Amino acid sequence: MRYAIFLGCAIPIKYPGFEAVTRLVCERLGIELVDLPFSCCPPSTSLKLVHYDSWLALAARNICLAEEQGLDILTLCSGCVNTLKEANHVLKQNEGKRRRINRILEDSNHCFQGSVNVTHILDVLYQDSVVEKIIKEKVRDVPLRIGCHYGCHYFRPPKVMYPNELSDAESYVPVRMDHLLSIIGVEPIEYSRKFLCCGSPLGANIDLEAGYAITRQKLGYIQERDIQAVSVICPSCFEQFDMGQIVLAKKSKDRIKTPIFYLTQLIGLAFGLSPKDVGLDVHRVKARKLLEETSIGW
Amino acid sequence: MTDIKIWKHFNRESLYECYQCARCTGSCPAMEVAPAFGPRETILKCLGLGHERVVEDERVWLCCTCNVCEDRCPQKIPICDLLVALRNSAARRGNIPGRLAMAVELLAKTGRSMIVHQLDGMRAHHGLAPLPAAPVDELRKILRKAGLQQVIEF
Amino acid sequence: MRCEEVAAHARDLPGVIHAVDSLYTCSQPGQEQIKHDIKELQLNRVVVASCTPRLHEPTFRAACESAGLNPYLLEMANIREHCSWVHLHDKDAATEKAKELVAMAVRRAAKLTPQFELTVPVIRKALVLGGGVAGIQAALDMADAGYKVYLVERSGSIGGRMAQIDKTFPTMDCSICILAPKMSEVGRHPNIELLTLSEVKEVKGHIGNFRVQVLKKARYVTKDCSACGECVQACPQLAPDEFNAGLSIRRAIYIPFAQAVPSRYMIDMNLCLNNHGIVACDRCFQTCLQKCIDFADQDKLLELEVGTLVVATGVDVYDPSALTELGYGKFPNVITTLEFERLINAGGPSSGELIRPSDRRRPNRVAFLQCIGSRSKRSNPYCSNVCCMNTIKDALLIKEHWPDTEIYVFYIDIRAFGKGFEDLFQRARREGVNFIRGIPGEIIEDINTGDLTLLGENTLLGQHYRHVMNMVILSVGIKPQKDSHLVQRLFNLATDTDGFYMEAHPKLRPVDTTTGGVFLAGAAEGPKDIKDSVTQASAAASRANILMSKGEVRVPAITANIDPKKCTACGLCARVCPYHAIEGGKEQGFYRVVEAACQGCGACVPECRFGAIEQSHFTEDQIVAQIDQALEKEPHTKIVAFACNWCSYAGADFAGVSRIQYPHNVRIIRTMCSGRVSPRWIERAFLKGAGAVLVSGCHPADCHYNNANQHTARRVEAFWKKMEKLELNKNRLRLAWVSAAEGAQFAKVIREMEETLRNLTSDEREAFIAKLSKAQSKKSEQS
Repeated sequence: MRYAIFLGCAIPIKYPGFEAVTRLVCERLGIELVDLPFSCCPPSTSLKLVHYDSWLALAARNICLAEEQGLDILTLCSGCVNTLKEANHVLKQNEGKRRRINRILEDSNHCFQGSVNVTHILDVLYQDSVVEKIIKEKVRDVPLRIGCHYGCHYFRPPKVMYPNELSDAESYVPVRMDHLLSIIGVEPIEYSRKFLCCGSPLGANIDLEAGYAITRQKLGYIQERDIQAVSVICPSCFEQFDMGQIVLAKKSKDRIKTPIFYLTQLIGLAFGLSPKDVGLDVHRVKARKLLEETSIGW
Repeated sequence: MTDIKIWKHFNRESLYECYQCARCTGSCPAMEVAPAFGPRETILKCLGLGHERVVEDERVWLCCTCNVCEDRCPQKIPICDLLVALRNSAARRGNIPGRLAMAVELLAKTGRSMIVHQLDGMRAHHGLAPLPAAPVDELRKILRKAGLQQVIEF
Repeated sequence: MRCEEVAAHARDLPGVIHAVDSLYTCSQPGQEQIKHDIKELQLNRVVVASCTPRLHEPTFRAACESAGLNPYLLEMANIREHCSWVHLHDKDAATEKAKELVAMAVRRAAKLTPQFELTVPVIRKALVLGGGVAGIQAALDMADAGYKVYLVERSGSIGGRMAQIDKTFPTMDCSICILAPKMSEVGRHPNIELLTLSEVKEVKGHIGNFRVQVLKKARYVTKDCSACGECVQACPQLAPDEFNAGLSIRRAIYIPFAQAVPSRYMIDMNLCLNNHGIVACDRCFQTCLQKCIDFADQDKLLELEVGTLVVATGVDVYDPSALTELGYGKFPNVITTLEFERLINAGGPSSGELIRPSDRRRPNRVAFLQCIGSRSKRSNPYCSNVCCMNTIKDALLIKEHWPDTEIYVFYIDIRAFGKGFEDLFQRARREGVNFIRGIPGEIIEDINTGDLTLLGENTLLGQHYRHVMNMVILSVGIKPQKDSHLVQRLFNLATDTDGFYMEAHPKLRPVDTTTGGVFLAGAAEGPKDIKDSVTQASAAASRANILMSKGEVRVPAITANIDPKKCTACGLCARVCPYHAIEGGKEQGFYRVVEAACQGCGACVPECRFGAIEQSHFTEDQIVAQIDQALEKEPHTKIVAFACNWCSYAGADFAGVSRIQYPHNVRIIRTMCSGRVSPRWIERAFLKGAGAVLVSGCHPADCHYNNANQHTARRVEAFWKKMEKLELNKNRLRLAWVSAAEGAQFAKVIREMEETLRNLTSDEREAFIAKLSKAQSKKSEQS
């Protein structure tokens, strides 16, 4: 298995720990990651809303880089996968837009073909062959009660992100992170409004207070159930929950804090890596106490 | 500054399908925490008052881009495509929140969506190679050809 | 147009000995004149050039018949809807066109032959499929009229959905109380044979003479059962009770509900421990005082012969599990309206106490959510008709028993259209039921209390709401039964896009199907309440009674017939017949049309490569005569249009009625179905120099003859392929689906085609004909 790894901006700059642990996990699973000179995805929460063609052009450039190497793109961030999958989808289907974008990319010697696919680390890990390897590589269980947060951009709109899973009559809600984590000994717990947005797109660019108000609601639902930690698949969601609990505590003196994990950190722990190896020490909401209560320790 | 022709980017007829059930606004996280219109009212205003009234109001930006509205719409109206078109139009008219404008300017000038400082040490701590430089010139050329300077100065 | 000029022109046409321009020929004096002329002048053909035949063909045919002339020797030329009304501003062109239309009619009339309508006997017995209130009513109406009726119901008792409901709107009658007397009447009616636990396996035959195979499944309990219920305590097996919407338990031996007709218990052999033919458990048998349990009971296959069929198979309820944001199936206190009916019913699982599933406590705050599974592209796009009134009724029921309950109805529109409905709506509001316009986007559960929070927007206030409720009732829509497609195939029914069975005409024939002798009743035809179901059932019974009382039925003489000498038994015609009206086989050496079953679409005729099959009154000669006449003068300026009687010809009529103007180049030739249109006609028209050819029929889902127009599409597409191979301009052959209401669409098509004509050069035309005739002669050389 070989992918062009798309790191995005947030992970390599703010949370290099996620990048490191993901590389380690992929190495153990025999997934080869190729680095290409990608740029910012660009975000569907900022540039797309301001100037659609610019957004589509930059996204197309990234896809072209992967096409030129004949590699599918593996993203680590819900925002990146949303941008790249949608851009890929739009350009594959709409001839007019494709011509326009290719004209813009002419000077950079890129030409969109529509020859590769975009995927997310969760989907790659969920494949049957990879799951088998995870079971083999696992040296210990991660006995935590975890509430999964998929975020919005990972799977919406389903007609673009997961058209095969969507049946006409239903709204698609993913279950794969819950399934994947249960394989490494996690007990996935349901909670109200599981698929509610974390609030980051509203908070980061428009109205900080409003964004955190949503996060607070979300944390409330998580904390009213017997959930020890939250697992995310996006650095924006991570920051919103992690940093968000600190910000919210300043105003309301909330005592209870729920540690947040990025998905591959949990996989890394299952593979025997230490909490420091997987980058848990730089989290704002500390997971130390929680892990010390389990067989994993600190 | 030339505006986009909104109805060329979005099929206006699909808005006629809306019978104002409010499942969209009922699911909208932004509605609960900010004085947003909500998708239902946005559609109603576009049809009844004209989209100019919507794109000139700064509240058009109060949105999480979470797509739940489109997910729950019984008439399968592509609401999020409408909202993107409306905001593109708003931006061209100068209606753009300050922080958002700064974020886009940062992206156009540095090729990244975040500010980088004292990074390589942290990356080395995790055993990672230093971050390669962003292809700023190439990106700038692409953005100019795409026309971003219509909205943001860079 | 100048009618006198047209009449004068007609006088000179071959075979015409009398032509007159008169006013109001359809009136009594006008008809008398025709009868007089027939007798006086010894006429053997009549052509009436006037309005559309769809209006007065029967009138003039009757006039001919009473004058002693075979009614099928009448031809009409449509010079009003298809000519004067659509070419108002060009009198000359209209007059010329009218002359040609009359000439076409005259030439066809010369080819007409006398036809005699077949009279088919009707067996004076009926079969009703479905024992709900519609089936019950239809059965009673036909039995009371004196005919034997088989009422076939697949469950163990008749009653259907109405038996499950507690009260009916708008009268607030107890549902089973008003239904039970009818059920009981069915049970003891001397003319009704009630077949429960029965399913139709096969339907053969045609109007007046259907042979139906019914599988009567074993009940394992004999007629001696007194319904004492002692056996139930003894049975060790459990299953969810379907009648109570799964809210309670039944045993393997059970009675569907207390008022069941027949009043007999039954054994669910899939659940019973004796289901492999060995008596492993006989506890019920031992307990039974009447000794009426018979494990040796067998399924029986019955062969029934009936004259008419009524389909009243009812509906299923939408399952809202698919709408994950509402939590049905996850949150115990979110239930459907059907489950609510059973809870509040005194005979139901909680003896009529309104309790909520999680803790069996009475809810103080209850919400109804409307339009769940209706008016939605995510589920069913139509409105389910009954849910608004059902909810209003439910709300009033709750208020009646527990006045302190707070009730909220979340709606988009309240549809209270029927008699007494608005009154009931007003009553509900007066009782303090809160109506909030705005369906919740999401439902959240408090796992400690079981309470539900509804998140939504009150659109009239423009405000977000968070309403906490003890119980939520989803007002689910109704939809066709899961196996409705099986019944559809058995009875040769058409369905609309929503899956409900289609009536022959939405306004004028609301209970007939396009298959003669088969009628529809109840919600199977479309969502409706009890009153409309009963009304429709009586209507269906009345239609069936007409056939049965007459004892015979006349089949229009436009059926297909096969010349056994030319038939090679290839079977292609039989395969395309939508009514399976062609029988035969290779072993017999030929195929034969069952005249009584043939509906006269003609889709079979173009299929035959040996010229063995013809359609009476729409023969090759007759149509070809019209084509040839239409193209006699300046063929390159003409569009030959083949239009089907039920949709496209009617659509062209409608264009006329609406006075929508279009170019005069078109000459319309009528067939009953576009499936009759033969590729040979298209070829002939082009070889004769036609500028363009239009083949027009009903929209794909709406074909009057079930789906015969799929063959139209196939044949035209094959012709286009041929044109492609010969490098001919495909734009000159057009396929259009035009419904009876689409006058504007018809006019638009003609306008577009006229443009194609204008852009044709004479070189192009000549090259076209040369290539086509070369290909044709090549083909005839080969064969």
